[in-house]
Amino acid sequence: MGLLETRNLVKSFGGVMAINDITLDLEEGDILGVIGPNGSGKSTFINLLTGIYRPDQGAIRFGGHDITGLPAHQVTRRGIARTFQNLRVFSNVSVLVNILIGQHTQIQNRLYHLFLTPLAARKREKAAEKKALGLLKMANLADRRDELAKSLPYGEQRLLEICRALASNPRLLMLDEPCAGMNPNEMDTLADFIRELRAKGHTILIIEHNMPFIMSLADRIVVLDAGRKFKDGPPEQIQNDPEVQDIYLGKEDDI
Amino acid sequence: MLYEVLMIGVMVGAIYTLITIGYSMVYGVLKLMNFAHGDVYIFGTLMTYTLLAKNQWHPALAILLAAVAGGLLAALVEIVAYRRLRAAQHRMISMITALGAAYVIQNLSELRWGNQVLPFPSLFPSKQLMVMGHAVSLTHLVTLVIAVGVIAVFNIFLKRHKMGKAILCVSEDISTSSLMGIPINRTMSTVYFLGGVLGVIGGVLYSSSYGAVSLGMGFRGTVIAFTAAVIGGIGSLGGAMIGGMILGISENIISVYVSSTFRDPITFLILIAILLIKPTGIMGKVEQGKV
Amino acid sequence: MPEGTVHEAEVHAVLSARSKPRSNGTIKKKVVGLSAALVIALVLPQVVTNTYWLGLLNFLIIYSILCLSLNLILGFTGLLSLGHAAFYGIGAYTTAILMTRYHVGFLPAMLASAMLALVFSLFLGIPASKVRGDYFTLLTIAFGEIFRLIAQAWIGFTGGAMGIVGIPIPKVFGMPIRTETQFYYLGLILLAITFVCLTIIVQSRIGRALIAIREDELAAKSMGINTPWYIIMAFTIGSFFAAVAGSFLAVYQTTVTPSNFRLEESCLMIIMVIVGGMGNLWAPLAGVLIMTLATEMFRSLAEYRMLIIGGIMMLVLLFRPQGIFGSSAFKD
Repeated sequence: MGLLETRNLVKSFGGVMAINDITLDLEEGDILGVIGPNGSGKSTFINLLTGIYRPDQGAIRFGGHDITGLPAHQVTRRGIARTFQNLRVFSNVSVLVNILIGQHTQIQNRLYHLFLTPLAARKREKAAEKKALGLLKMANLADRRDELAKSLPYGEQRLLEICRALASNPRLLMLDEPCAGMNPNEMDTLADFIRELRAKGHTILIIEHNMPFIMSLADRIVVLDAGRKFKDGPPEQIQNDPEVQDIYLGKEDDI
Repeated sequence: MLYEVLMIGVMVGAIYTLITIGYSMVYGVLKLMNFAHGDVYIFGTLMTYTLLAKNQWHPALAILLAAVAGGLLAALVEIVAYRRLRAAQHRMISMITALGAAYVIQNLSELRWGNQVLPFPSLFPSKQLMVMGHAVSLTHLVTLVIAVGVIAVFNIFLKRHKMGKAILCVSEDISTSSLMGIPINRTMSTVYFLGGVLGVIGGVLYSSSYGAVSLGMGFRGTVIAFTAAVIGGIGSLGGAMIGGMILGISENIISVYVSSTFRDPITFLILIAILLIKPTGIMGKVEQGKV
Repeated sequence: MPEGTVHEAEVHAVLSARSKPRSNGTIKKKVVGLSAALVIALVLPQVVTNTYWLGLLNFLIIYSILCLSLNLILGFTGLLSLGHAAFYGIGAYTTAILMTRYHVGFLPAMLASAMLALVFSLFLGIPASKVRGDYFTLLTIAFGEIFRLIAQAWIGFTGGAMGIVGIPIPKVFGMPIRTETQFYYLGLILLAITFVCLTIIVQSRIGRALIAIREDELAAKSMGINTPWYIIMAFTIGSFFAAVAGSFLAVYQTTVTPSNFRLEESCLMIIMVIVGGMGNLWAPLAGVLIMTLATEMFRSLAEYRMLIIGGIMMLVLLFRPQGIFGSSAFKD
């Protein structure tokens, strides 16, 4: 049984089928790459999985539980964390606080804890801070913990966003076009970082446009076209598939 | 009785539509709560009052001058207070600035006219006409005709005139319009100007049919405009009309059959109910934000 | 506590010269500053004996409580509430009615007032948490106006435009509070309680969730934050303390009238928070001080009051949107 299973997922916007009958399994420990031309439904797919949109039809199971139609914050609580295509760090707070916000589901302090058991609450805060520093060290951001997130260079903000997602201790991490807007150096850093995560056993779903990047990282590639699952296989097979090349080239001809 | 109440309701509704149009267009384009809107039109109405009652001007001339003055004031507020904040600032900042602008205008009007209720001269003869067996006040009828006429002219302007089309374009998508070479700043100033002009006309018609004007009606006008815009659906002329009519008619029914004291609280309750049941308004479309 | 020391050492190890963290030095500075402020606040009425100035200080305290609580909603959560005066009013009216008609003691009356405000804020907060930002503002305007109009119209219960007069002298643990100085100390205690409670909340996971909502609501949801719940929480906690301020106002003024709780009053609180700086616990207090002194200085220019308030509002936002003492509360 896979960690994540979708069954016949359908989502349409105003009559346009954005996601059409997608069935997919993702095994624990795998890195799955999702590719496809613009408008093929990649981002809609991730938004369905993370509870930002509700599917019209079909089911999503995660870790053996049905999570279809759960609101975003509950999906996160079940162990799915994500980053966004158009970078959404909390820009006016410090790098450390960004991570602490990411740990929201991990810190158990409720309002009454703060006033009734302040010492225990304080202890949990300290522990969270320690863990946050650990994450920042992993991304080489520890020495910038007190800087505002918006003052970081673009590539580091992307890394920060991934760390923030990791802070919720997810069983599945979803990255929506993580290299968008990055320069080659930043891309290499990111690739190393993702490899490090794989080595630690994280399960990751990556949506990406950059072919060399995704082919070098993913264990398996799914190609979406016009909302449908078009191909599913190991990177080498997809890379050499003439039909996959066709949908990309065909799309470019249209432009 | 009910007939007359409805008649007055429709008239007030048409006036509210005038006041709402400018507000709704600005809101539709910029998502800016223009708190100064009501104070602008009250400024124009008070100015008309002075020109009519003190200086004995011809009504048409007085209204024209005051409407242009109101429009220019609205455009000035846009240029001074809002333009700098149009770029991707947190929305709240421009809202609070608008609140500040409202206070400044209100205070300036107060320095000139005070905040007591002033007797506004009636613009039209107070005759009764018989229409289909019912007595209709000529004032109400003429007011209604003028209000509907102005709305119709404005509608034609939007559809036919180059600037009107530009306004529609900008309200559809501000960044694309800018790419297409539509001068955003000039178009926005025009929207504010026209909103101010229509507001002053509405304010004068309202004050003339109730025979009174006071500074306090300004803020109420802002809330009415926003409420009507929300009820009807923001950003469209049709929405402003539907919202204005619903408010005008329900208000009159409430003040006659329930209590005039609770007219405003009940109006607010209607607003709260609409926001909860259908926050996009009766005519509004659901906006799907891109993630 | 050995665990704590290990942690401190680790924290220091990862600090580079570039970042200026909350090192021991700054914590010490904060403690020194806080105790200095406390000492000054405690000694002040011994130095200032003039009733006029003491009265001004008491209003400073009331506005401080109001602005601290509003800041939780406005500065931290990023919601523009124009209904804060209504909750301030609910607190004042409840205390006034309970104490004059039912002879309830001050402390129980204050607690009841705050609880009632909390209930009303739930009524408003639950729907308000479901609508977009500006509809929230509109809802709060509508609520504030309904409150004020009812206070004006329901003469039998609220005394109408004349309000409620002759609120008895409050007793705190059997001690009657009569003089300006006594009111000052009572107010100071309430302010301190408000400050401590809000500090604890703001520096916790809850405070960070509110900031996340202000910065990016969708991202906040994706962090597992149940955003409507936290919006309601910010709103109810803020309203609770606004009612405490109202309760204090009732016994201090011995009268309450609807004109104390107009929309203008909500705007004044907003401008105080903004002038000080949003999203920072201390900064609004500076705003309260500046605006109160400014309005007092320009007392002879009372007819220009709104012009001055509105003008400052616009100038601050156009040229220094983070407030005079704020660092950077908003997206740019």
